[in-house]
Amino acid sequence: MGWKDAARLADVAFAEVALQATYAFRQGNTVPATGGKLLVRRSRQRVTQSKALVAGLLGFLVLGSALLLQRSVSGTELIVPVPVQAGLYQAGVLTGLIGLEVALLWWTGLQALPTFLSSSAVGVLETLPVDRSTLRQVAVLLYLRLFDLPAVVVLVATPLFVGLALGPAAGLATVPASTSAVIFALALSLVTGRFFVRRVQGARGGGGSTVARWAYLVLWLLPAFGLLAFITASPPFFRALGTLANPHLAPTAEALVGVYPLALALLPPLASGGATAFHTPWTVPLIGLAAGTFYAALAAYAAVWLYYSVAEAGSVPTAATAPGRPSRFDLRPQRPIWAVLTKDLRLASRTPGYAFLILLPVLDAVALGLVSYAGAAGPSAARVIALGAVSTAALLATFFGPAFFALEVIAQSYGRTLPLTTRSMALGKVALVAGIYLVAGGTVLAISALRVAAPLLFAAFVVAELPAVVAAGLIELTILFRWARRHGLPVTNLYAGTWNVILVAIPGVIVAGAPLVTLVLVGLGGMAVVSILELALAGFLALGRGAT
Amino acid sequence: MGGGGTAPPLEVDRLTVDYGTHRAVSDLSLEVRPSEIYGLLGSNGAGKSSTIKVIVGIVRPTSGTARVFGDDAVGDGIRAKESLGYVPETALLYEALTPREFLEFVAGVRHLDREAASERLRTYAAAFRLDEELEEPIATLSNGTRQKVLVIAALLHSPRLLVLDEPLNSLDPRSVRIVKELLLRFVRSGDRGVLLSTHTMEVAEELCDRVGILDRGRLLAEGTLEELRTRAVGGDASLEEVFLRLTRQDEGLSEVVASLDGP
Repeated sequence: MGWKDAARLADVAFAEVALQATYAFRQGNTVPATGGKLLVRRSRQRVTQSKALVAGLLGFLVLGSALLLQRSVSGTELIVPVPVQAGLYQAGVLTGLIGLEVALLWWTGLQALPTFLSSSAVGVLETLPVDRSTLRQVAVLLYLRLFDLPAVVVLVATPLFVGLALGPAAGLATVPASTSAVIFALALSLVTGRFFVRRVQGARGGGGSTVARWAYLVLWLLPAFGLLAFITASPPFFRALGTLANPHLAPTAEALVGVYPLALALLPPLASGGATAFHTPWTVPLIGLAAGTFYAALAAYAAVWLYYSVAEAGSVPTAATAPGRPSRFDLRPQRPIWAVLTKDLRLASRTPGYAFLILLPVLDAVALGLVSYAGAAGPSAARVIALGAVSTAALLATFFGPAFFALEVIAQSYGRTLPLTTRSMALGKVALVAGIYLVAGGTVLAISALRVAAPLLFAAFVVAELPAVVAAGLIELTILFRWARRHGLPVTNLYAGTWNVILVAIPGVIVAGAPLVTLVLVGLGGMAVVSILELALAGFLALGRGAT
Repeated sequence: MGGGGTAPPLEVDRLTVDYGTHRAVSDLSLEVRPSEIYGLLGSNGAGKSSTIKVIVGIVRPTSGTARVFGDDAVGDGIRAKESLGYVPETALLYEALTPREFLEFVAGVRHLDREAASERLRTYAAAFRLDEELEEPIATLSNGTRQKVLVIAALLHSPRLLVLDEPLNSLDPRSVRIVKELLLRFVRSGDRGVLLSTHTMEVAEELCDRVGILDRGRLLAEGTLEELRTRAVGGDASLEEVFLRLTRQDEGLSEVVASLDGP
């Protein structure tokens, strides 16, 4: 058997992965009353649509970066708070782009890996007379299919647009950076996916264990916040780049160019303008080149490691901690709304895709809250940043609201046999969205309380936005439940149902955003009025007589 | 309406279930009487699971009704679902929860009292020897252990109707014995009923007061084992022989068996 047979088998296996990613039958979703062929076709379409959306976002980032690369040195002050040499500026922009590409691809992997690992698409083939080498090829091809469209955009569009902005030589010199971005993202996805299966999914229940699980999830989700990290860290990053032009550079500053992906991002400006593009001590490009060579070698090693490891990962059993500790027999039943909320939090604590959605708004708030505390020029600036942090948390929690609905697909064939009303389920989900907002808002408040001007007024703002967040959640859930009643449960996980999430999230984000706009136009009083009115209306629509 | 004291545990009336163009259940009517274990027998694809899925609220029928103690099970079915306990054929649960977390969720949704729920869990966990597995994620458990968790979940709220779809498939002999004993005791106390779907004739023969034989979505025959024997073959034939005769699956069977080579 060769690559051709492997490709054929991988195509069959991918149909299974797409089907499980979309409909989660192996996780207990009910089978719709539709023909099997239609389901398979639809699942492929859904996965392709979602990958196309991520690819589109990556393309947008590449295009934006290419436009930034064309700016002159003086023009960079619009983006960068300090003057930076042209070569360093270009390397800085490319560093951000490559970082974002790694983050987005890795994020795609986080969404897809649990399905890939639990689909047993590779494991099933192991029971057939397929030789080890072909099995490895099937696994690699199947794994690449999870990322194909976004990865192609990174591999092709990045060098192409950099080439258009800085010249063909620079475009060619971008290939190591873009290729390494894809390889590192795929490797990181696999490493974290295996870690998840071995350490998180199989972890025991209980309070201490739950805290440890969330800590694990924070640890390995943290690097995926590339976008946030770049936005938050770009001013000090460019300031640090500015210091590289200093002829009496400290060795610690020189070491900055050895960091990934800056080392590889130095290559395009070097290729287009030579070392003169930097006006830095000669050691800077040299260190960059040496580090770049190291990262290229590391990427080659990662590619080989991926080739040999993907097949094993496809059949990694969930490792349970050894039984032995006696179980607790006391049950603490909660009211149905809280039971739904607790169940969702427990599921998320062992499901990285969902943990990500909960942690992103909270960690975003922590990061921006810290910036408002430490980085702002004065109390007024701190308040603006803190307001921005809370607003972002509100919009992110609302945007991800529909994705939490995807948790209902899990074990749906059992869950629907329980006497759980739609109202309880909807309120449980809304409580999750509101809880995320409150934790995020409370965190910003706690971090920046000593620094912002008029902290009580700021606290009032956090409280005033809450009804709008709840209203947004109710609107989204109402749309989803009506959709479910007519057409069956909609797919809202972020690997196969991104499009559905976006469609449903748009009205939610508008509802959550309206009071924020009112705050700017009218003030806090008007914001509170709009927020409460929205909640009243959404409550009537979602929970009024006959609504559920 | 519903919940009346005179209504039988389960009434299914003229039930039809279509999946696209495929008719899985056709005009089916049956009743589970108080203190009765009713066996639903049939070959693969006969419509047993589809019928059960309507009763427990997973599938909406094309037409017909299903009532649990008089409460409609087809609409939102909340009252009907409060009265029944369900053990599905395949143990597809919340894989990321531990059994205790899962049972806590079920107990919450069913508004159970903490003390009573804990006491029942203690009793059933001891019976099924689940002393060490309650804190392990369900994803790591064997099929048999998952099945035991499902049986406990179905009994946790002391239901009045038990609906079981091939409940003994993955269980070890000791647990099979316990479940059988549980079912017999269950129907002996009060006006409760059991609907048991199986294609294991010995189980039906041992447990069921009456059986209904489904074939291609239709109820072919119904009655006690004696009644079916009389109707099908007479004498003291086994339920398997009765089943094969009634569903006409015995025709040419000996030739088929004779034509099989050894594996």
